[in-house]
Amino acid sequence: MSLLSYQFMQYALVAAFLTGLAAPAVGTFLVQRRLSLLGDGIGHIAVTGVALGLLTSTSPTLTAVLVAVAGAVVIEVIRTYGRSGGDVALALIFYGGIAGGVLLTGLAGKGPNVLYAYLFGSITTVSGTDLAVTVGLAVTVLVVTLTFAPRFFAVAQDPEFARAAGLRVGFYNIVVSAMAAVTVTVAMRTVGLLLVSALMVVPVATAQQLSRGFRATLVGAMITGCLASVAGLLISAYVDVAPGATIVLLTLAGFALTWPVGAYVRRRRRLASPFPADPDQATEEHLRAHAAEDHEHGPDCGHRAVPHGDHVDYLHDGHRHAPHGTHYDEH
Amino acid sequence: MSEPVFSMRDGAVVLGGRPVLRRVDLDVHRGEVLAVLGANGSGKSTLMRALLGLLPLARGEVRAFGVPVDELRDRYRIGYVPQRASAASGIPASVREIVASGRLPRRPPWRPAGRADRRAVAAALEVVGLADRAGEDASHLSGGQQQRVMIARALAAEPEVLVLDEPTAGVDLANQRALAATLERLVAAGTTVVLVAHELGPLAPLIDRAVVLRDGRVAYDGPPAALPIDSHGGDHHHPHDPHDDEIVPTSVPETASPLDRLTEPPEHGEGVG
Repeated sequence: MSLLSYQFMQYALVAAFLTGLAAPAVGTFLVQRRLSLLGDGIGHIAVTGVALGLLTSTSPTLTAVLVAVAGAVVIEVIRTYGRSGGDVALALIFYGGIAGGVLLTGLAGKGPNVLYAYLFGSITTVSGTDLAVTVGLAVTVLVVTLTFAPRFFAVAQDPEFARAAGLRVGFYNIVVSAMAAVTVTVAMRTVGLLLVSALMVVPVATAQQLSRGFRATLVGAMITGCLASVAGLLISAYVDVAPGATIVLLTLAGFALTWPVGAYVRRRRRLASPFPADPDQATEEHLRAHAAEDHEHGPDCGHRAVPHGDHVDYLHDGHRHAPHGTHYDEH
Repeated sequence: MSEPVFSMRDGAVVLGGRPVLRRVDLDVHRGEVLAVLGANGSGKSTLMRALLGLLPLARGEVRAFGVPVDELRDRYRIGYVPQRASAASGIPASVREIVASGRLPRRPPWRPAGRADRRAVAAALEVVGLADRAGEDASHLSGGQQQRVMIARALAAEPEVLVLDEPTAGVDLANQRALAATLERLVAAGTTVVLVAHELGPLAPLIDRAVVLRDGRVAYDGPPAALPIDSHGGDHHHPHDPHDDEIVPTSVPETASPLDRLTEPPEHGEGVG
């Protein structure tokens, strides 16, 4: 346990704990909106932010937050107002972000090793100031996300209804994206920019194997993310590997363990559920009921005859039957 | 007489460069049960969305409870039931959670749900008969039951008017009857109802006014009793044979009487509505 007595390790543990809580909390709303890869894209953009910090000799965390939030807002605006080109525009932003980052780092006279610490996480780089910023940002993300959770949920669940109910759909979407951007920066030091999206998405996928509701998924994902984050950091410290990779592999192991359980439950439910009451089904039942009937419609079958164009329909249970080959069409 | 619930004056809506609603004048009065009927593409859903302020008007204006609908602060007074829930989201959501989201316009963002909120949600679930399914994943319910979830969500805000877009489309007869019973109770309690339908089915006895749209104009506005039989399309399990079209001239005059609808072929599937 000697490692735990190092100050940088204690800092890193606090950062990992908060990251593990905040990333899946925001990630739940991204997955709900089917934007699982948004975190990855924001991570790419944040690389440019880090490089700007290195180039100008200011805090890379600060510049990364600013650039990532700006990028997230731009992405959200493109998604809202851009039509079919939105997808391509996102790709342009993502790759522009990472290429710009690498170029700017080179201009700053720093080698790839400096960037590596941000891309894949490095616990030894967490300083006292970094920790204060990380804690502040993570708490902000948690407070905002959990406070507005009901509205984020409503807006993503059914935007049309939310607008009719007077909720500002565009505004809440931008807030979610901005929180995702802040989370990316918070997780930069522990998981790294290229793997942060995994910590936002995989715990959610794991939790939803076992949950039936949104709140349960949210809470389950936060617990899973927190456990994986702290455990991964400890393992990486003792084995001396990159913490980001260890944390992400742990979350994936969690998913691999719960998936069979979820698949089994879903299969059971499918077998137990009654046939869906869709119109085709109703027609089928109807036809079956009629097939069981023992007469052909005719002038003396007792059903009222209604002339209809070139043939005669028969009123039957409130609708009309037209003989057609061996069955009756409904007119 | 009090302020109309909705009031559209000379309303026109243009979607993608195509006029969808033209010169529509419509007042919906308190306590009324209004059905908007018409063929696919006649502008029914567009009219609903314009009344709710979800679509901008190219001309004219819409007022809700006496104020321009965009400026209505108390949005909870309007309960909206969209035609179909948007594509299932990426995360499971329980019936209760979805219904509870309908309560949000009743409180500021920072205030968590209180006892009154939970009571309203429970009451809404009770009204649609889904109280025993509250904890279930809503995406596992049948289409008709999901429709009831959306009605409960609209009811959770305790609205004064309920706007339903095609509440009977794709819903089996048993669920249509359940819907009719639910609406009957709400109407008895004084709720105004505006609904879009292309067949009334079990809802017919509840309706006290029908508006028929044709090509984005009001072609009929009056009691449903005066509507020609079959004017809302009748049965649509099976396509009609072409002989139906031979009875009517194919070019229908613009000043159509509702009687023309008698001979229109029935509608199939969903459209712009």
